[in-house]
Amino acid sequence: MTTRQRSLRLRLIAMAALWCAIALAAAWALLSALFADQVRRGFDGNLAAQLDGVIAASEWQEASGPALRRPLPDPRFQQPLSGWYWQISAAEGPLLRSRSLWDGALPMAENSGSNGGITYQDIAGPNGARLRLAARRLTLTGVEGTVLFQLAGDSAAGMADIARFDRLLAVALVILGLGLIGAMVLVVQVGLRPLSRIGQALGDIRAGRADRLQGAFPSEIQPLADEIDTLLDHQAAVIGRARAHAGDLAHALKTPLAVLANEAERDKSALAAQVRERVMEMRGQVDRHLSRARTAAAAGILGARCDVAPVLEDLIRVLGRLHRDRDITIDTIGLDLTKPAPAFAGEREDLQEMLGNLLENACQWASSRVTARVETGENSLLFTIADDGPGLPPEQRQVVMARGARLDESKPGSGLGLAIVADMAELYQGDLNLSNSELGGLSARLKLPLAH
Amino acid sequence: MRLLVVEDDKDLARQLRGALADAGYAVDLAHDGEEGHFLGDTEPYDAVILDLGLPELDGITVLQRWRQDGRNMPVLILTARDRWSDKVSGIDAGADDYLSKPFHMEEMLARVRALLRRAAGHASNELQCGPLRLDIAAAKVSLDGLAISLTALEFRLLSYLMHHQGKVISRTELVEHLYEQDFDKDSNTIEVFIGRLRRKTQADLIETVRGLGYRLAAPDTIATDDN
Repeated sequence: MTTRQRSLRLRLIAMAALWCAIALAAAWALLSALFADQVRRGFDGNLAAQLDGVIAASEWQEASGPALRRPLPDPRFQQPLSGWYWQISAAEGPLLRSRSLWDGALPMAENSGSNGGITYQDIAGPNGARLRLAARRLTLTGVEGTVLFQLAGDSAAGMADIARFDRLLAVALVILGLGLIGAMVLVVQVGLRPLSRIGQALGDIRAGRADRLQGAFPSEIQPLADEIDTLLDHQAAVIGRARAHAGDLAHALKTPLAVLANEAERDKSALAAQVRERVMEMRGQVDRHLSRARTAAAAGILGARCDVAPVLEDLIRVLGRLHRDRDITIDTIGLDLTKPAPAFAGEREDLQEMLGNLLENACQWASSRVTARVETGENSLLFTIADDGPGLPPEQRQVVMARGARLDESKPGSGLGLAIVADMAELYQGDLNLSNSELGGLSARLKLPLAH
Repeated sequence: MRLLVVEDDKDLARQLRGALADAGYAVDLAHDGEEGHFLGDTEPYDAVILDLGLPELDGITVLQRWRQDGRNMPVLILTARDRWSDKVSGIDAGADDYLSKPFHMEEMLARVRALLRRAAGHASNELQCGPLRLDIAAAKVSLDGLAISLTALEFRLLSYLMHHQGKVISRTELVEHLYEQDFDKDSNTIEVFIGRLRRKTQADLIETVRGLGYRLAAPDTIATDDN
């Protein structure tokens, strides 16, 4: 198992191509051999017929030995070195041969033409041409020993035919092979299209453009698609339940805490003071851990997406109303109406919570102005919330984010706002940084994942 | 000043009522959404403190119904549900302020004072009418710089008149804004309290408008407007 599996499509096509190549090569070899055999048989038959012609046309004269009773019809036996030759020999040597042999002779193999049958062999001719030699040894009446009849023909034309056939066959088979592979590619494409569709649908879900796979898939992968949809439903339900539980728990804890705190406030004893202190501490812990629980359930899930602009608008409207007695303006920078609005890859509630806490904090400390800047990076969303308040010295910034120490008891709230934002950002693989703002106060930079 | 507290937790409701009464307000309690909605719809409250997680009818719905029916008294939401999504829906439903539990009583009282002040169109925690000064936060009244002591009802009456100074206020309106719901309302008692107030402050500050009601105005109204 390699870590990166090759694509299924590539694998199917490669296997089909390999099989095609092997099958076609075997077909080529077989057809080529059959054809060569066919050509050779035809040629040998022709040689045998010609040799019989020579035998039939020859006669044995007592005085001079073999002679032709009539000339052979094929003119190539008259033409010197034409590649077609015949020869009649006895044990002592050649006695009569075709004119085409000129002053050469056909080699006489010992065992050729034994027992009256025809033997064939390939030899080199007088001018180096490849010849096919047919030989037949006969016993003639009145002749001592056997007489060897031989006839040779130039096999070059036949060989050329075979070579040409092989070439044509190869070309035809290569074309056939390419055609088969092409068809295979088509089949694989069409066959695997539902898988590509599932891939695209999952991509849509991840990008938040859809929340279900939807659509009918072939019966082989419908169970997979159904299962994914069921998982998505289950996931949504689990997150919904987790959020509802967290909300209920917050509600169930905080009202009794409020009662305790109020009782303790009316009492001036040391016990009451301790209760007051502890109650506020518990409130902070409840806030922090419940917000973590809610976010942990939702961070990084498939398909979460939320547009930034409406969330900011809501928060700015609400904060404007909550702080309407104070002269504070909240400006957004970087939300360009001409460009597609950036979106956060996560739950709307979580974005609302993080930006809400940062903006609320900024509004509490600002003397007149708060700015919310939105920028997008390659895969990240960057929010910069700045105010013109007193700011925060560097050594206190870490403290505020880590433990959520309340630096000013006179301001309402648990003082855990920034720590909660830092926790949530971390769960989303983002981060929160505090620095000085150009306006003079604190600047909080929140980095979060961008939805594409 | 008469307030409505809608809170299903009896202990917390009692604490709120105690703290608000100590600060000089008449307070009615409702323990569920239906009752709260009915009271807010029929009685003229100066402000409402509303929990969101209520039995019968949830707080957001109660608030939305009031606003649809044109009830525009200031509403402070007091809730354990303090996510921003809750705050956004609360404010969008028509709430004027939002306070999360647990809270400091002082914080709650400050928010209520701010709501009442804003509703009456005043900018500061100190109301003034000629020589008369009302410090809302401390619930103290002074005349020419000298503190005068008032009973709870006297204070409520004067506070209401000072929040609405320059306007003619009928006896019925005063009764509705001074007494709690289950109190035996008798508009004749108002006359008694007005008489006591006139004795403790300057007689000419509270004017009787025959057949209509009372009006609190400084002798020199222009000077008052300058404040």
